[in-house]
Amino acid sequence: MKARLNVPLAVTLVLGAFLLVALNDVGLLDGARIQRGLDNAGIFFADMVPPDTSVLPEVSRALIETIQIAFAGTMVGFVVALPLALLASASLVPYWVTLPVKLLLAFVRTVPAILWAIVFVVMVGLGPAAGTLGVALYSVGYLGKIFYELFEGTDPEVMEAVRGVGCGRLQLARHAVLPEASNGIVSQLLFMFEYNVRASSIMGFVGAGGIGYYLLGYVQTLEYQSLLMAVLVTLAAVLVIDRASSFVRAALR
Amino acid sequence: MAVTEAAEGRALAVSSDPASPFAGGAVGEVLAVELKDLVFSFRGSPRVLDSFSMTVPAGRLVMVLGASGSGKTTLLKLIKGLLLPRSGEVRLFGSPVRRRGTRGRLSPDIAYIPQQLGLVRSRTTLENALMGALGRVPSWRGLLGLFPAATVRDARQALDTLGIGHKSAERVRSLSGGERQRVAIARALVQRPRILLADEFISQLDPATTMEIMQLVRGVANSGVTVVMTTHELDVVERFAEWVVVLRDGTKLLDCPASEVRTSELAAMMKP
Repeated sequence: MKARLNVPLAVTLVLGAFLLVALNDVGLLDGARIQRGLDNAGIFFADMVPPDTSVLPEVSRALIETIQIAFAGTMVGFVVALPLALLASASLVPYWVTLPVKLLLAFVRTVPAILWAIVFVVMVGLGPAAGTLGVALYSVGYLGKIFYELFEGTDPEVMEAVRGVGCGRLQLARHAVLPEASNGIVSQLLFMFEYNVRASSIMGFVGAGGIGYYLLGYVQTLEYQSLLMAVLVTLAAVLVIDRASSFVRAALR
Repeated sequence: MAVTEAAEGRALAVSSDPASPFAGGAVGEVLAVELKDLVFSFRGSPRVLDSFSMTVPAGRLVMVLGASGSGKTTLLKLIKGLLLPRSGEVRLFGSPVRRRGTRGRLSPDIAYIPQQLGLVRSRTTLENALMGALGRVPSWRGLLGLFPAATVRDARQALDTLGIGHKSAERVRSLSGGERQRVAIARALVQRPRILLADEFISQLDPATTMEIMQLVRGVANSGVTVVMTTHELDVVERFAEWVVVLRDGTKLLDCPASEVRTSELAAMMKP
């Protein structure tokens, strides 16, 4: 009788072996190192408490700047992404238009916001302008893709019925595609803003403004109590924004 | 009950009076639809329609029957221009339908109501009805949603006539099936079509609502608009059809006045 290969078992064994090699190569199978890390973590967390409230004013100002970077970046990204997504939608325009636009969006999306911020720091100098442009460009790539997928998912019968009245592509987009996708657009825009608040909180690591500048500074000068204050303020803001956004998105469903 | 438009030199009315001056027989033998040797298949698939020919005189109410997959929807889409035949010719009121890309602008003279109606659910009843006018208002007005007052009046009047005017500000997603059907007909009327194509659009309605909607469709046909609709409902065919076409596997089995065929014969022909 011919022996049959147990495919799930073989896949599990291969993945398991690959995981062990990877964990070993990155040093996480080194017991002494893990023990040293746990000891350091205890010291680190002990040094963090209590949080230093004296830095609250400067941290709050930086947090507001972070939210401004996220908001402005998201909105600029949205304004650019929307027309690009229409041009990338196969249900509205021919292949020879959608292909280059989709490739452009894929390229923009591949580079993380913080790397775009480094590019913009070089171009426009240190500060929140670079961070905003970095966030905006990443948002163009992300929202552009999500939006064109939403547009291409418009019910074909709605497209046929509205086309059938004799309207052109712009009117079709205005009266069928955008209204059908409107809930998805708002929902994704809110999600992008949530994501960008988190992304903007580390823009300061590369000199692109926001609370990241203080987070990095407190780590480098070993001011862990100030660091905890900055982390708590950031966490509170992110949680509030996430809850508000989730509430609005649930209401849209 | 009557809505009459005289704009663009063309009358559009909804009339429940079979003796209307616009009634089918009074329009004469102008051919609204001529299909000649149509062949259609989707890429890499067997033929959906094979050497299909048919003529529809203006003002007639024609019902196309057939089992699922017999080619009824494809037939309507070919007439509308949403699909292009592999070979053969589609003529509407004597003029060949120009070949154009499947994304090109379509003629507003032919209204098309798909099976699921194709309404924009997040928009109101009135906004959906107004979409019927997009093909004849200037593009900038359509884009800004600034429809001429007369067009808005027409749309409201069509909704009133179809008994849905009191819900003109409601979003379509909140309407019942029968109400949505009325909105789809209103959109078609605002389009001022010469031909109305309706694809099994009554298939999900209860019998009473089906009869109400069919009375309205007959009113449209009585106003001079040529109606070609597909259906499975034999009781609807028996009561409302002037002419019957039966399709099986993309070929025509029957093409005759409804009075010349019994319901039992139609039922037998529709079996897959």
